[in-house]
Amino acid sequence: MRVALLGIAHVHADAYIVNLRAAAGVEVTAVADHDAEAARRWGAAHDVPVAATAAEALAGADAAVICAETARHRELVELAADAGVAVLCEKPLATSVEEAETIVAACRTAGVPLMTAFPMRFSPPMQAVAEMVRAGRLGRIRACTGANQSELPTRHRAWFADPDLAGGGALMDHIVHIADALRWFLGEEPVEVFALANRIIASEAVRVETAGVAVVTFTGGTFASIDASWSRPATYPRWGGLTMELLGTDGVTSVDPFRQYLTGYAAEEPATRWVAWGSDPNQAMIDEFIAAAREARKPSVTGEDGLRATQVALAAGESARSGRPVAIAPAQRS
Amino acid sequence: MAAEGLRVGIVGAGFMAQVHAESLVAMDACLAGFASRAEDVLDDVTARFGGRAYGSFDELVGDVDVVDVCAPTHLHHDLVLAAAAAGRHVICEKPLARTPEQARQMIAACERAGVHLLVAHVVRFFPEYAAARAAVAAGELGEPAVVRLARLTSGPRKAQDNWFVEEEKSGGMVLDLMVHDFDYARWVAGDVASAYAKGFAAPGEAGLARHVLALLRHASGAISHIEGSWAYPLPTFLTRGEIAGASGLLSWDSTETAPVRTALAGDGAAVGEVLLPESPVRESPYTTQLRHFLRVLEGGETPIVTAADGLAALEVAEAVAESLRTGAPVELAGAGARPAEVGA
Repeated sequence: MRVALLGIAHVHADAYIVNLRAAAGVEVTAVADHDAEAARRWGAAHDVPVAATAAEALAGADAAVICAETARHRELVELAADAGVAVLCEKPLATSVEEAETIVAACRTAGVPLMTAFPMRFSPPMQAVAEMVRAGRLGRIRACTGANQSELPTRHRAWFADPDLAGGGALMDHIVHIADALRWFLGEEPVEVFALANRIIASEAVRVETAGVAVVTFTGGTFASIDASWSRPATYPRWGGLTMELLGTDGVTSVDPFRQYLTGYAAEEPATRWVAWGSDPNQAMIDEFIAAAREARKPSVTGEDGLRATQVALAAGESARSGRPVAIAPAQRS
Repeated sequence: MAAEGLRVGIVGAGFMAQVHAESLVAMDACLAGFASRAEDVLDDVTARFGGRAYGSFDELVGDVDVVDVCAPTHLHHDLVLAAAAAGRHVICEKPLARTPEQARQMIAACERAGVHLLVAHVVRFFPEYAAARAAVAAGELGEPAVVRLARLTSGPRKAQDNWFVEEEKSGGMVLDLMVHDFDYARWVAGDVASAYAKGFAAPGEAGLARHVLALLRHASGAISHIEGSWAYPLPTFLTRGEIAGASGLLSWDSTETAPVRTALAGDGAAVGEVLLPESPVRESPYTTQLRHFLRVLEGGETPIVTAADGLAALEVAEAVAESLRTGAPVELAGAGARPAEVGA
């Protein structure tokens, strides 16, 4: 299985290269990025051949992993679909619903598998909750709270706070993971989103919202909050985290999929650190992508899943701007 | 028996009346006695805490300096107006009243009578909440951006006359429980400009939200995410908070800070009528609160929480209730325009 890496803007490229090499029978044959110098440095650092263009990188490839800036996803997915290779695309899928729909349609037309990078689907603690909900242990889920809060991502990549490249700020960056987990847990679709956002944190450093909270209502009436704020200070022991709590008619459960860590204290800064020992969800996600590509089948997490989560994030941004709840039209949900 | 000082008469003999009585006894204040319609309970509380069993509210008012209203919420208005008319200072349990309009009348009546109206928003006196507010006030977190508050319980259980679950009397969970965090959110992040809420009722209790998620937008632009629940499984009383500011983050969680954890074989401890969070500190927050109130009445301290704060919390609760009914965000009058928009 020959895999081309298209775009290295997303920090996950650094993790996926390790996961791809750990997957059986996988060779990362080329990397390409619109920023040739960045591609050259990344290729040298990770010992991956650098292609001059994405099209060149796709020559002879069986699959493509897209870690470019969100606004570049559509162009790269279309190239990969035209080349007839399976696609794993970073989240959020696109910076507009139209582009996300184009991405899904392009892969459907070309008949290639399209997977959205939602690693939480492959987290054993999250899977345990999904099984518990599906088995009805909590009764009917009525309300959820979710938080996917992080440090300011511009510490790693400036484009996360560039509205033209990322499609927004904190809401666009962080809503999709929990939006997808909620759809997965509930088996229901989002119908309405209300959100508030502000730029009180790092108000001078960036021009997008740095904090935001959305409330999503689902087809069955279940409501869920998603705190997507970049509200963890730089001294936080980790990049941030993700937590959810689900209240059902028969019980409540909470999940912190990154809770499996050792707590370390050092004599020097950073004084406190959390050393993760849980199973790496990225590895299971990459393994599933490779299997789907090899078997030319639909992956367990699809482009449609990415589209629907992107709709929630975009609706949250629209609601935060207008001050009104934003409906997700049924036509968009099909 | 009770010490020198202001004579406090407690109106009510139920759970919160007993909490107040215990605090007054603990601080050696002058507990004059109780007045209650529940005459069978009156003898019990006077036996436990001392003081007289007054034959009527009027008899109590005639014999005390301070009327401490621990009666059900819907009775606050008439009791406070009567106490003010008699020229008595008033301590009133939260929520200040059943409706904002009632609270406005109470505030006006107490102003006219020249008496204090002190509303018992006790959360301001819980050490973790007070410490977090102090950190904000000291500028340690920078300007608050996102405030998260949760107060999750299985709901009040009383064998009889459970007025808590009668919305006409208590205002339901939103007014009885969430009002704590509406007040605290205002204390931390200032006036509230709008409220949006989602909730659900228990089967057979249409209209009475048992679990609510509220998003508040403060005039400053700060966001408060407030959860209140009477729908959590027994035996639970969870309180959580988090304040994310421009330059720092503070969080607390009653389950993680519980210093004593015990597991008993068998069925475990019995569950009381109304669960309260365990906060084993030297002085109960209720005592700290009443000690402060008595010092305010003696002229020695400025109130940490005012009747205007009590009214503002009611206005937030009313907006949340309206949002629950309509499904739309509700603007609060007089809280100012939306701040400049952010985002792409």
